[in-house]
Amino acid sequence: MREQLEQLRNGALQAISKASSVEQLQDIRISLLGRKGELTALMKGLGSLSAEDRPIVGQLVNTVRDEIESALGAAIESAHEKFIAARLQSERIDISLPGRRPLKGTKHPVSLVIEEICSIFAGLGFAVAEGPEIEHDWYNFEALNFPPEHPARDMQDTFFVENNMLLRTHTSPVQIRTMLKQKPPVRIIAPGTVYRCDSDATHSPMFHQIEGLMVDSKVTFGDLKGILTVFTNQLFGQKTGVRLRPSYFPFTEPSAEVDIACVICGGKGCRVCKNSGWLEILGAGMVDPEVYRHVQYDAENISGFAFGMGIERIAMLKYGISDMRLLFENDVRFLRQF
Amino acid sequence: MNVTYNWLKEFVDFDVTSDELASLLTMLGLEVESMVKLGDGLDDVVVALVEEKRQHPNADKLSLCRVNNGKEVLDVVCGAQNFSQGDTVALAQIGAILPGDFKIKRSKIRGEESCGMLCSDKELGLAEESAGIIVLPPGIATLGTPVFTALGLKDTLFEIGLTPNRSDCLSVIGIARDIAAKLGLKMKFPHSTLVECSERTDSVISVTIKNPDLCPRYAARYISGCKVAPSPEWLVKRLNSIGIRSINNVVDVTNLVMMELGQPLHAFDCLRLSGKQIVVRTAEEGEQFTTLDNQLRTLNSTDLVICDAERPVALAGIMGGLNSEIESTTTTILLESAFFKPAAIRKTAKRLGLHTESSHRFERGIDIDSVTRALDRAATLIVELAGGLLSHGCIDAYPGRSDRAAILFRPEKANELIGINLERVAIIDILTRLECQVSQCADGSVSVVPPHYRIDIEREIDLIEEVARLNGYDQIPATMPIARVISDRPTRHQEIEKKVRDLLVNNGMTEIINFSFTAPESVRKLLLSVDDPRHTAIKLANPLIDEQSVMRTTLLPGLLETTARNMNFRSLDLKLFEIRRVYLPGKGEDMPCEPLCIVGAITGTRDGDGWSRPNELVDFFDAKGVVETVLDFLDVGGISWVTENQESYYHPGKSCKIFAGRECVGSVGELHPSVQKNFEIEKPVFCFELDFEKLVKLSRTKKTITAPSRFPDSTRDVAMLIPEELAAAKIIDCIRAEKSNEIEHVQIFDVYRGKGVPDGYKSIAVRIRYRSFERTLAEEEIASLHNKIITNLTNKLKITVR
Ligand SMILES: [Zn+2]
Repeated sequence: MREQLEQLRNGALQAISKASSVEQLQDIRISLLGRKGELTALMKGLGSLSAEDRPIVGQLVNTVRDEIESALGAAIESAHEKFIAARLQSERIDISLPGRRPLKGTKHPVSLVIEEICSIFAGLGFAVAEGPEIEHDWYNFEALNFPPEHPARDMQDTFFVENNMLLRTHTSPVQIRTMLKQKPPVRIIAPGTVYRCDSDATHSPMFHQIEGLMVDSKVTFGDLKGILTVFTNQLFGQKTGVRLRPSYFPFTEPSAEVDIACVICGGKGCRVCKNSGWLEILGAGMVDPEVYRHVQYDAENISGFAFGMGIERIAMLKYGISDMRLLFENDVRFLRQF
Repeated sequence: MNVTYNWLKEFVDFDVTSDELASLLTMLGLEVESMVKLGDGLDDVVVALVEEKRQHPNADKLSLCRVNNGKEVLDVVCGAQNFSQGDTVALAQIGAILPGDFKIKRSKIRGEESCGMLCSDKELGLAEESAGIIVLPPGIATLGTPVFTALGLKDTLFEIGLTPNRSDCLSVIGIARDIAAKLGLKMKFPHSTLVECSERTDSVISVTIKNPDLCPRYAARYISGCKVAPSPEWLVKRLNSIGIRSINNVVDVTNLVMMELGQPLHAFDCLRLSGKQIVVRTAEEGEQFTTLDNQLRTLNSTDLVICDAERPVALAGIMGGLNSEIESTTTTILLESAFFKPAAIRKTAKRLGLHTESSHRFERGIDIDSVTRALDRAATLIVELAGGLLSHGCIDAYPGRSDRAAILFRPEKANELIGINLERVAIIDILTRLECQVSQCADGSVSVVPPHYRIDIEREIDLIEEVARLNGYDQIPATMPIARVISDRPTRHQEIEKKVRDLLVNNGMTEIINFSFTAPESVRKLLLSVDDPRHTAIKLANPLIDEQSVMRTTLLPGLLETTARNMNFRSLDLKLFEIRRVYLPGKGEDMPCEPLCIVGAITGTRDGDGWSRPNELVDFFDAKGVVETVLDFLDVGGISWVTENQESYYHPGKSCKIFAGRECVGSVGELHPSVQKNFEIEKPVFCFELDFEKLVKLSRTKKTITAPSRFPDSTRDVAMLIPEELAAAKIIDCIRAEKSNEIEHVQIFDVYRGKGVPDGYKSIAVRIRYRSFERTLAEEEIASLHNKIITNLTNKLKITVR
């Protein structure tokens, strides 16, 4: 029995060392340790041994079995490793080929700028308001203190449509519609499409504006300056200089044109800023008492400011676009860059 | 408004450079849009003396000169003939750069050395044409002095963009007043030393105002025996300096005074005025009149005209008449200086499309106070330059005389609104410098009477603005407002719009923005039926071009034009969308509707420039897939794809309308070949349209979420033959109709036609996944359910299981 075991052990270890694949090793395991395996058969034979021999031989059988098991385990693991190594060795792709990616979509730059500006103002507590593009004269002009036949109307070449209506020339009528609907405090931002009969490299007959309006009990012109400074710094970078200079809009007083230090040349002077170092980006001012009168607000006890800016102008400055017409040609070679 | 540094300096003696003045003006709200420094960079053109002049040995028309520039004597070759030895001339020395980027270099001309050039007015940019070189008055300046300095031509031209409220600054005096107020300086006024004869003006001419409401003041003077002639050089140069062409001494004086004082003037040839009288009245309806520009104008009863005894001789405040124009033979002049009501002038000028320097000023309002001052100034100058006798006194018909109302002003209100803290005296000082009359009231407020020329100042707020402006906007501290908290979030509409835009972009679509107006015929290209409401568009009354003359009723034409344009540039793989408004006429007096719509177009290969699935073209299902993604995202329920009443612009076999319950919410399909041709599109395009407003209403905000089952699934595939006309969706519906909780998922995983499938049939393979929420399903339960489903399919839809 002892010799038999010794023989079995040696044979098995030899077979294991010769085996080259996991499958062969599995076969060896079955032939030795399986239900009908050789070692299993030997173990069954233990019963016929004497009571003294049984524990000794039993011990020996166990030792041999453990020895074979561990040799098999090690051999299987190493065969497996070799197999994996060989697989990894043989499998190769050309990783330089482009990735398989979904087609890239983009938002129109006008949408991008509107979203960005609205989100800056959302952070300052301004809600988004909207209004019709085909407007009544009253909302677009009269309530904003442009009396009929007033020269200020010349500043805005107007498209007229039937029924005495017009295409709004600015987003300012949204101010009026908002104030008629709600009592102070008011804090809105109104992006939208506007129209003027004018067309060249810097004017488009259709363009976009964002209007802002804040009315509360004690809002000052200095507050307007503060809000616009925060806004331009967020939009164009932390240290963008801001300059307010006197101007005129019928619906604000005092009124201001707001310039930022030229983002192209940093204020040194270049073609874009006409060597002034400043870029005009928006118009603003304190809401004129006449406007409050039209919306039945009490001008004595409230105050507020309004401002408006052209989206295209800001998009052109932000992205360095020189011709406004590019924005409406919808050439995907242009649009896909955003 | 154009104005020069030197001219302004005649009115106020400021001590700032032209650059400083430009920024001062801009910060006063008088925006300097451009600035031209005359003579800038021409310091190398100097006063020089021709010491010797002789014939060039090799050229008849050239001379050799020895020219002294104060430091040395240079050889200069010159081609001009109009000078002689001993003349003082303008020498451009080597290194000088003349207008037109013409650089003066040492050169040899026909073998003779030339170290400079003797210049003409033209070469220095002083005149359009010139006959020869400049010959300066002897001893004008020491030799070597820059010519522009010697001639007093060093000046800066400012082009000022005026806002419509500042009509007072349509004059040199107005701009000078603002400078004086800002710098705290005194104004100087141009002189008018009238020399009158004994004949009384009102004995020669008469003035009658029939419409004092439209013409509150009309003043006139009479000059006889004058001679119309070219203006002297100083006047020509002064007018030229701000871009006005010289005409003759009389007209030039009226223009000069208008620019100086802002008062438009008109000179009539008095001999041509019938009855030597002026009648200011409104025109008769249909009255005809020929203006100076030789245009026959038909007037109406709201136009104000200046007439003589018989007929109109000028269109008040806008333009004179041909019948009374100053000519070279004119000897007697009636000089008009008046105030016309802005609205009246504006109405007429606008209707006639006649915009003049005069109407521009009257429309915006002039200083009623300066009517006679301007008249006296002009009369003085005309007599000075054209001679003649000025009659005694001026006729000043002033029926509309009125004092300006005082404005109640609270200095603390100004501080409060501006956000500054100026002393009361400082505020009052600002108003005083603006020539307001300020008197203090007992209650601490202030009563302010603004000067006549500031017609824009009428209310307290106007005065507050003046305080902010003169004190300087740069002096206002930037503060953050103290505001009440408002609870606000984007509306559902706004939120959904943004989300859908994000969704489409994330699905590879590129957003476009087209003009809201389009050509009237573009909608016709869609082959809509005649009664389709989309034919009824809102028209622009004054379009710029026909292609932009109606408001769009559908986004499709713009989308398809964009598609065609991109294809022309060989961008063939397109996935475009637009979320914008369309404009539908309102009913009766209602406002038009401006609903938001979504359209998309997909064409070309599915994988763009990928390498693994090249040339795989998009089809109907790519477009439908995008629509499904949107509908799914918005959780719009009860969707059906309906092939009845298809849109005319789609391929009838490859399109459908999309219904949510009973509401049609859009359509999707391949573009009809004829429509494709109408838009000059080369390749098939798959489009979709969605009614955004309906989707917002139908979108379900609350989603029901169920926990997934923890039990194992069991999957069964079934392949079947079905008639070609049977919609695959019916198979799914039929399976779903079983309404068993154990059917977890149904998926069509193959559609096959061809070998083994008879003509008129297609093979559809469906995978059904069964799973229970309560237990592991037994094999027998699944088999029984699956068989029931197959029986239903066979019985109800007449399919054959393969
Ligand atoms: Zn710049």
